[in-house]
Amino acid sequence: MPGALERTTETDLVRAAQRGDPGAFDELVRAHDHNVLRMAYNLLHSEEDARDIYQEAFLRVHRNLPKFRLDSSFSTWLYRIVANLCLDHLRKRKVRHEEGSTFQAESGQVDRLQFIPEHRPDVDPQRRFESAEVNSRIQEVLGDLSPRERVVFEMRHFQGMRLRAIGQALGVTEEAAKNCLFRATQKMRAALGDFV
Amino acid sequence: MTCQDVQASISLYLYGELDFAREEHLENHLAECAFCQLTLAREKQWHTLANAHVLEPPLDLLAQCRQQLRPALARETAHPPSRRSWWRWTNLFDISATRWSAQIALASMLLFIGFASARWFDRGSDRGSLQSGAAQMSLLNPASARIRDIQANGPGTVRIVLDQESEITGRIDDANVRSLLFAGTRQPDPGVRFYSVEILTQQDGAQTAKDLREMLFNTVRNDPNPAVRLEALEGLRHFSGDPSALETLRFVLEHDDNPGVRSQAVNQLVPIDGSVTVTPAMAQVIADVMRSAPEDEYVRGRCSQALREAKLPLTY
Repeated sequence: MPGALERTTETDLVRAAQRGDPGAFDELVRAHDHNVLRMAYNLLHSEEDARDIYQEAFLRVHRNLPKFRLDSSFSTWLYRIVANLCLDHLRKRKVRHEEGSTFQAESGQVDRLQFIPEHRPDVDPQRRFESAEVNSRIQEVLGDLSPRERVVFEMRHFQGMRLRAIGQALGVTEEAAKNCLFRATQKMRAALGDFV
Repeated sequence: MTCQDVQASISLYLYGELDFAREEHLENHLAECAFCQLTLAREKQWHTLANAHVLEPPLDLLAQCRQQLRPALARETAHPPSRRSWWRWTNLFDISATRWSAQIALASMLLFIGFASARWFDRGSDRGSLQSGAAQMSLLNPASARIRDIQANGPGTVRIVLDQESEITGRIDDANVRSLLFAGTRQPDPGVRFYSVEILTQQDGAQTAKDLREMLFNTVRNDPNPAVRLEALEGLRHFSGDPSALETLRFVLEHDDNPGVRSQAVNQLVPIDGSVTVTPAMAQVIADVMRSAPEDEYVRGRCSQALREAKLPLTY
């Protein structure tokens, strides 16, 4: 998440990595990679795709680090790369097909509903049914968001990034990011309205 | 700050994205308005529901990613990605890409190759009818060819209709491009339909285009995919004064099975920011919708709020 490292420390690490210090690059990766993976995994719901995004993002960072002039923070730059990779993936996927309720894990097809915590579902089947309904509705509406709305919603709602940072990461104004978030929350609110 | 302002800002408030003054106004309003307090409570509830959905990557996935990154970085350091492979050819001729004269020479050579091969293939096409099927097939890549139809075509022959992979780039206001975009709104792939609608509705002069108007009415009513219907609903904003648009919104509110689409329709009918005055025709639609959609609490709430604010009787 942006801000995970102190700005000065991060800048020092970037400079050291630019000079070819592999330890500094490794430290930058470790400071951010869990959040990068989590974002990709939540957006793409596929271990394989998340792994691809992870690797491609850090390879691009490594490749372009010498050209990075520190005119934005490292994390903003990194998230720009990750967000663009995820957007490309989502756009291709959106054109190809609509997302199903299952995703491909290494162990085979997995229903993503099983990851949602249940509160004593064995005792309350009605509740279990409702929870599955809610999750299926969430999947439906997330699938219906445009790729950009989806990425903005993910970055703001799940990753806790500020709209200004999201705008910088996506190369749009804060206002545009705000509009995207507004549309996404409207759709989420509408879809989940029956359950609250 | 009015109730409409609060409705429009409530999510940004929960995300902490309002500026200080706006947040202050909103909190003052909340302290006195039971309706908006309820809205805030509902907003928090769906945020909580959505939070339960967040997925944590499996524990070993991060370890695997880190493990795989190391050799990938090592490979890249040992063999940095080269320039485009065709450019390496120039080494054969000892041409330096940095010299302008060499660049012109290379461009001329490529132009000549392109011209000569076009002439060659053009000559070939004169004899096209005599070519065997196998010869024609050699131009195709069976792995990537998309087959639309296959029919027996007499003894020993078959007719295979291929979807040709081709690409067109052009201005959106070009008549041919535009008709392709309209064709896109009828394709089986919902992604293609979605982007066709989105692009067509974002053009200048969209509000006067009759063909667009018809397409939107039809898509809003009949498209099986809710994302496409939502996008078409957005486009209907261009025709907000049009009686047919009002009828289409009524149709959505009464018949669409997706609550997201219905909510967007009601927000277009009576915008949250109160920017539209409720006309008698609209009031009639609102009253009808309240009668026919008793189970949709959000739609009913917005409708009754609109009638209250317009000081019209709740005639349902």
